[in-house]
Amino acid sequence: MSETVIRVANVSKVYGTGEAAATALSEISLDVERGSWVAVMGPSGHGKSTLLQIMGGLDRPTRGQVYLHGIELTTLGSAQLAQTRARAIGFVFQSFNLLPHLTALENIQLALWFGGKGDEKGHAQAMALLDSVGLAEKAHLCPGALSGGQQQRVAVARALANDPDILLMDEPTGNLDSAAEAELLALLGRLHEQGRTIVMVTHNPAVAGRARRVVRVRDGRIEGDRVNGS
Amino acid sequence: MNLGKLVWRNLLRRKGRFAFTLGGVAVGMAAFVSLLTIGQGLDREIKKQAQGLGANLVVTPKGWCAYEQISVLTGEQLPEAIPMSEIDKIMAVPGVKTAVPYLNEKTAFRNRPVPVIGILPEEMRALQKWQIAAGRYFKAADEPAVVVGAAIAKQFQLKPGDSFTVRGHPLPIIGVLREAGNKDDVATFMPLPVVQKLYEVEGKVSFAAVQVDDLQQVDAVSLRIQEKANVAVVTDKQLLSSILSIVGMVSGAMQAVAAVGVLAAAFGIVNTLLTAVYERRREIGIMQAVGSTRRTLFAAFLLESGLYGLLGGILGVLVGMLGAYVLGPYLTDNAFTASLRQSPVPSLDGATLLLTFGLSIGLALAAGLYPAWRATKLSPVEAMRYV
Repeated sequence: MSETVIRVANVSKVYGTGEAAATALSEISLDVERGSWVAVMGPSGHGKSTLLQIMGGLDRPTRGQVYLHGIELTTLGSAQLAQTRARAIGFVFQSFNLLPHLTALENIQLALWFGGKGDEKGHAQAMALLDSVGLAEKAHLCPGALSGGQQQRVAVARALANDPDILLMDEPTGNLDSAAEAELLALLGRLHEQGRTIVMVTHNPAVAGRARRVVRVRDGRIEGDRVNGS
Repeated sequence: MNLGKLVWRNLLRRKGRFAFTLGGVAVGMAAFVSLLTIGQGLDREIKKQAQGLGANLVVTPKGWCAYEQISVLTGEQLPEAIPMSEIDKIMAVPGVKTAVPYLNEKTAFRNRPVPVIGILPEEMRALQKWQIAAGRYFKAADEPAVVVGAAIAKQFQLKPGDSFTVRGHPLPIIGVLREAGNKDDVATFMPLPVVQKLYEVEGKVSFAAVQVDDLQQVDAVSLRIQEKANVAVVTDKQLLSSILSIVGMVSGAMQAVAAVGVLAAAFGIVNTLLTAVYERRREIGIMQAVGSTRRTLFAAFLLESGLYGLLGGILGVLVGMLGAYVLGPYLTDNAFTASLRQSPVPSLDGATLLLTFGLSIGLALAAGLYPAWRATKLSPVEAMRYV
C-alpha cells in the first residue's frame, strides 16, 4: 500500500470578510501518494493555484487541515513552515520567480543556504544541479540573460536544491514555447522516475497527459479525480 | 550564499539611491564630527591657555562678565579698571608670592588687529619663563621697545630692528619670543608704563595674575585679597571651569544642530528601505517560498540599514575631520576664540570615535526596524502577486 505524503482534509479558503468574502476552496479533500505525478486542471480562478499554495504551506486554509508526511502544516509556526518549504518541498512557478539580481548559480545557492548549506558546500552542489539541468555553462548569467526555457530549468534546479521528495508546480510550462516545454517535461519525467512526487497545476491537456493522475477543480471543489488512461 | 553577500548585492542594485542615502548619512555625521572636533579642540586649547597663565589666582575688576574672563586667557583687549595702588595692596597681602599686572590693549598693524600687552618685564619673565628666539629682552622696566610673540613675528615677518607702530608712535622691535604654544605667541609685549602712556591710562591695569606661597592656602589668600583691595578674585580653576562651561554650551548647541542633520539622515534611511521593501515585495515572496524565515528577512533589511550607518559613519568621520581641519580656523576666528585659531590638527579621541560610530550605526539600525518589520509582515502569496 502506497504512503500518503500530502493529505488535504476538508479544506476551505475564503478571501475577505462579510459581503466582500470570496470562497476559493470549499471543503476539498485530497490524498497524494509518494511517487505519484498529479495534474490539477480546471478553469482559471477556480482554486487550482490556491490549492497548491495551501498544500505547500505558502498560504493557510480558512478551515480544514493539511498534512505533509503526517505533520499538520496548519499547526506549524511561520519559522517551522519556512523550514518545511526549504527542505521538504520544491516550488516551480509559471513566471519562473528567480531573483533578477542574482546569477543562476546564486539563485540555487540561496535555496541551499535557506536549507542550511553554506557557501563552499553550496557552491559545488549548485553547480552539480545546474549541470543536471544542462545549464552549467550559464551558471554566472543573471535570469535576464537566459531564455524562458533556461530560466524554468534553473527554477527546477533551485526546487531540487535541498533534495525534497515533493515538487509543487504552478503552470510550469505556461510561459514556454513547445521545444522548451518538451525539454521540461522530459526533465520532469526523469525526476518522477527517480521517485519524486509531483503535483502540477496546468491548463494544458497535453502536459496533464504526462501525469499519472488528473484532478479537476471547478468552483473551489473537486469535480473529478481519475488515473490517466483509465 | 550568505546574509552578507545577499545584503551587499541588494545594497548595490540601485547605485544612485545607495549613493544619495549614504551621502545623507555621511554629511550628517560629518557635520556632527566637525563640530565635535572643533569643540574638543577649543576645550583643549583653553585648558592649555589656562596652564600658560601661570597663576593660582586672577584678580579682576568687580563685575566682569564671562566674555572678559575668557579674554584673560585669549589676550583680547580688556578695560583698564584696576588702579596700580590696588596691585600694591595685593602685593602686601600675606601669602601672595607675586602679583603680575596685565594691561590688555589692541592696535591695528598692517590693517590687522594685534594685541598689545603691557607687562612688568622682570616679573613677567619670571612668571612665564619666556625664552628669546631672536634679539634680546627688555633691559629696563620702562624701555620704549617691543618684544613680539613667535606667531606674530611669523605672520608679519618681523625681526629685531624692525619698527612697530602703536597709536602713531613707532617703537623698535628688540626681540622675538620662542614659541610657547599659547596666547603669548599671538601678542606683542611692552613695559607697562609705556603702554599706559600710549593709551593714556596711567596708573591703571586690566587684571593681575597672582601666585601664592602655599597652594593649600589659595582660598584663604583669595579672601584676604578681597578684604584688602577693591577687586574680584577667581581661582584659575574657577576661571577655567566657567569658561569651559560657556564654550561647552556653545559647542553643545552646535552639536545639537548637527544631530538634527544626523536624525534627518536616519529618516532618509527609513525612506530608502521602505521603498526597497515596496520594490522587492515579489522577491520577498519568492524568498519565503524558497524557504526564507521571517527572521532572515528581518536580519537582511536590518543589516542593509546598519551598513548605511557603518559606511556613512566612516565617510562622515573622514569628511568631518577634514572639514574641521580646513574650516576650523575660520569657524573659530571670532571675538571669543580668535587667539585659539592656531590649534593643532584636530583629532578625535578613541572614546569619541566609538561614540560617533555607535551613534551612526545605532541610529541606522533603529531606522531599519520599521522597514524590516514591514518586510516580514508580507504574506508570500500576496507578495508574489506583484509584478
